[in-house]
Amino acid sequence: MIQANSIAKSFSGKKIIENLSLEVKDEEILSLLGPNGCGKTTLLNIISGLMRQDRGHIYINGVLVSGVVGTRNVNVKPSDRKIGYVFQTISLFPHMHIEDNVAYGLKALHLSTQEVKKRTENLLDFVGLRDYARFYPSQLSGGQKQRVALARSLATEPQVLLLDEPVSTVDPQLREPFRLELKNYLQALKMTVIYVTHNLSEAFIMSDRIAVMGNGAIEQVGSKTEIFDKPSSSYVAKFLGINAIKGKAIKNLGEVMEIEANRIQLLASAVPDLIGRNVIVTIKPDDIFLSKSSASGFSSETSNIIEGTITELVQMRSNTQVTVDTGFIVKARLPLNLVKSESWSIGDKVYVYFSADSLNVFAENSS
Amino acid sequence: MQKILKRTRGGSLSDKFILVILGLIVLTYFLFVAIPIVGIFLKIEPNQVSAQLRNSAVINAIELSLFTSGSATLIAFVLAVPTGYFMATRDFHGKAILDTIMDLPILLPPAVAGIVLLYAFAPRGLLGPIFNRLGIIIPGTTIAVIIAECFVASPFLLRASKTGFERMDKDIINSAKMLSGSRLRVFFTVALPLALNAVISGTIETWARAMGEFGATLMFAGNLPGITQTMPIAIYVLLYSNPLGGVMLAIILIIISFSILIVVRLLEQKSLRIQK
Repeated sequence: MIQANSIAKSFSGKKIIENLSLEVKDEEILSLLGPNGCGKTTLLNIISGLMRQDRGHIYINGVLVSGVVGTRNVNVKPSDRKIGYVFQTISLFPHMHIEDNVAYGLKALHLSTQEVKKRTENLLDFVGLRDYARFYPSQLSGGQKQRVALARSLATEPQVLLLDEPVSTVDPQLREPFRLELKNYLQALKMTVIYVTHNLSEAFIMSDRIAVMGNGAIEQVGSKTEIFDKPSSSYVAKFLGINAIKGKAIKNLGEVMEIEANRIQLLASAVPDLIGRNVIVTIKPDDIFLSKSSASGFSSETSNIIEGTITELVQMRSNTQVTVDTGFIVKARLPLNLVKSESWSIGDKVYVYFSADSLNVFAENSS
Repeated sequence: MQKILKRTRGGSLSDKFILVILGLIVLTYFLFVAIPIVGIFLKIEPNQVSAQLRNSAVINAIELSLFTSGSATLIAFVLAVPTGYFMATRDFHGKAILDTIMDLPILLPPAVAGIVLLYAFAPRGLLGPIFNRLGIIIPGTTIAVIIAECFVASPFLLRASKTGFERMDKDIINSAKMLSGSRLRVFFTVALPLALNAVISGTIETWARAMGEFGATLMFAGNLPGITQTMPIAIYVLLYSNPLGGVMLAIILIIISFSILIVVRLLEQKSLRIQK
């Protein structure tokens, strides 16, 4: 288990991390997801002990490794924290053979030569690189180097593992298979892992839970479905590519409530507490349907039907992202063939449909 | 099409003229540097070499220079390489000022280096009383030669090793720190090997500078044969008593400098290859 409590860190007056708390459960793979420069790597460096926080405490498996308690100033050395750390830049020792890279941490443990050799071989077997023992890092591909870095970080039998964007150094066309390979390794290890990435789909593939980071703090932590279905702030929604609309909850209509957003009435599942408050409404692009006709089988009692104008069409690999201006902007994701058969183009009038229960509503000031 | 080709191949008359002028400039400069250096090899005949190598003044100067420059380089290594690592990996207040002061001896005129050392180490200088109490007098001794050479030459090693350590990938050092709690082990097994080419070429430059040191040594240590008369000083002195001995020493220094340049070039090429 990793606990970071109320961490703060500034660099020359600029706050990088501010009052950040995070808990990673035993044997859990938690993705730390956020844009570049939001402080993800700084947090890993603080947890690992390579950097000291200005404030706050770090616990590894319940043991305080960094922080001030009363008059005691605890700061356990990085190598004594039982943490494996795979850096974004891979950073293998370029002047050492692969086996010496892997054995580096083992030699610090003062084990017998035979024990070091045996454990090194086991680790190289684990990542499938036994045949490359006498190679230098420069002779390996990006994915192979990353596997060596993983094996090297595991050598000292750490209790937790920190991975900083491990896929980013792999050739783009090989990233997909490497992700799956890495996932298999991580599942086999049954370790507590923080997996840093700025890539949404990678976070979904790799992890049990996701922590979305922004502005130096954790914005939201939850299971993949929680994060995606119920983003708790407009920042999280926007980062995940989910529509976030400002509005005000007007009145309760029983099962649903009425929300006004830019003078347009929306229906959402009723949350009585929110009536009369300013709210943020989030809608996933996949929950939005578009049609040229106003009759589509959606009930106006439990669904929203709004007229709008297409302002942008972006063709992706497997779908098309359609942006519609209805008074507020919504993005919908539609199958490629649908967009083709309907022959939509920019400037067309369309009807936007989404059911009341697909909306996630929360009070604005809570974000 | 043919017309264009003709013009590009031949070039205009003024182009040709400029090319000739450029050729003359290059040739003049090349001869200006090469003639004196190659010329001195013609001043001594092969059968005179062995006689000069048995001349005690020549031999003493060679031995003294090798001993003092070797010692100065060794001391510089022990002082400058760890300092270079410290300066490259740590930030602290006043670092820029310290950095500049440490570089200063590179630019100081040798006579200035000599006088500052004299005022620091002479019996009535800044540090003199301390050495007096220990019964040590520095100026005019072999130790003074070593101090002068180290003072003037060690900044080359500091500068080179600092640059070498600054170029290291910080994550590589951090990886080592995650795996090994010993700073010494991280330094010797990872940091030093990563900066090795820079450290080696810095060491060689320092040694070359120490071998060639003249002004500061003459002022601070003097000109005592066998004690402070290093090769450059002996060249100057022998010019009036035994010119061939001076020529012999000069030739040896030229050969050493030439070999050093070749070694440094090879190291630079090697480190370029590794970076690729």
